[in-house]
Amino acid sequence: MNKSLNLALGALTGGLMVVAIYMVFEYVPTEADQGIVQRIFYFHVPCAWVAFAAFGLVAICGIFYLWLESPIWDDLGYAAAESGMVFCTLVLVTGSIWAKPIWGTWWTWDSRLTTTLILWLLYGGYLLLRAMADDTPQVARFAAVVGIVAVADVPVVVVSVRLWRTIHPAVLVTREGGHGLEDPRMVATLLVALAAFTALFVWLLILRFATLRMRTRIAKLAGELNLAHAAAGDL
Amino acid sequence: MSGFVAVLRKDLRLEVRSGESTIALVALSLLILVVLVFALDPVGGVRGAGIAAGALWVAMIFAGVIGSTRALHAERDNGCIRALILSPLDRGALYVAKLTAAFIFMAIAETAAVVLMVLFFNLDFDARLLRLAPVIALGALGFSALSTLLAAIAGRIRAGDLLLPLLAVPMFVPALIAGVKASGAALTGAPFGAIAQWLKILVAFDVIFLAAGYLLFEHVVGED
Repeated sequence: MNKSLNLALGALTGGLMVVAIYMVFEYVPTEADQGIVQRIFYFHVPCAWVAFAAFGLVAICGIFYLWLESPIWDDLGYAAAESGMVFCTLVLVTGSIWAKPIWGTWWTWDSRLTTTLILWLLYGGYLLLRAMADDTPQVARFAAVVGIVAVADVPVVVVSVRLWRTIHPAVLVTREGGHGLEDPRMVATLLVALAAFTALFVWLLILRFATLRMRTRIAKLAGELNLAHAAAGDL
Repeated sequence: MSGFVAVLRKDLRLEVRSGESTIALVALSLLILVVLVFALDPVGGVRGAGIAAGALWVAMIFAGVIGSTRALHAERDNGCIRALILSPLDRGALYVAKLTAAFIFMAIAETAAVVLMVLFFNLDFDARLLRLAPVIALGALGFSALSTLLAAIAGRIRAGDLLLPLLAVPMFVPALIAGVKASGAALTGAPFGAIAQWLKILVAFDVIFLAAGYLLFEHVVGED
């Protein structure tokens, strides 16, 4: 990948992350009811946003792969699924850390927690497919199909789990239509954290994508080399 | 249409002569229900419609997963799947035929599982079981639609048997939630309104996976 792009993205991510951490620990006021624990929210929500965006990207790449059959889309989908999985794991971990003091338990079968766990399992399955079928030539198509089906499944998961039960606080969109962040400094901190995590995601995605592109190229060269050897052997 | 009939007839004839899938599915459902009776004994025993409904769906998922793995081996062993792919049959028709066969085997196994559930969980043979029928039929249809698509993928990779449940079970979760709730409500004799919202979810799940399977199957079985 382009070296200056890599440096620029790294610097942008690093800078934004430092500002975000400063704002979370120094700038933003402590929430009245929950106290200091609530500050994890500024990392939790951006991770969730990034994970959902990444999984959406997996499906879009799947559709483009089946349509155009270009390995670029396959590599981008793979990179998105891997990065998304990292952030989805972080959502579950930060959520658990917050839930212990607030709800008194690490885990509860609330609708958003359950939905996130199902997502985690779905894309865990997707990555296992990619790992297990590494030597199968059609792996890219299989992964594309599973990525599309997984995203098609998400709306039904959300509706069914919501009907099942919910106690998760609706901070960003409450039932009254407003949002739960009273202080403008809280909104500012959340926005900066969102930008920082989005930059981090894009950076990781591009790095991983570049590695996978290189892997595809090496596999292609190795195939050509084998063919050349076989041809030489035949003579 | 004739292609669909031919493939379905082949699968059914194979099943009538060997009985492999149905016997395996019924035997597994029986075993899973027995295991659950022992497992649930410490928490108050196996009485109650709620626990019975849960047990029925556990049996359905695990028997279904193993049943579709079985079907996959049958196709792979003698190179049948290659012959099917080489045939001029429309891929969508092939998918619908395979899924219809899977659905029929599952429906037979589920009927047996319901009878066993009534016996093991001390329920009654009455009209409430009729309300259970649409719930189980929709669940089995959704599972067949999902597993037929995923089995076509799993059949072509080395550790496919292991991968199939890892992909199928998380995807089946919405139907599982709706199915367990609707079955529990049906068995306790709740009014139809209490079941309707869960049936809607099951229908939505079935429509999504039938459409996805029909459209994507050709990409899964394609040669290259």
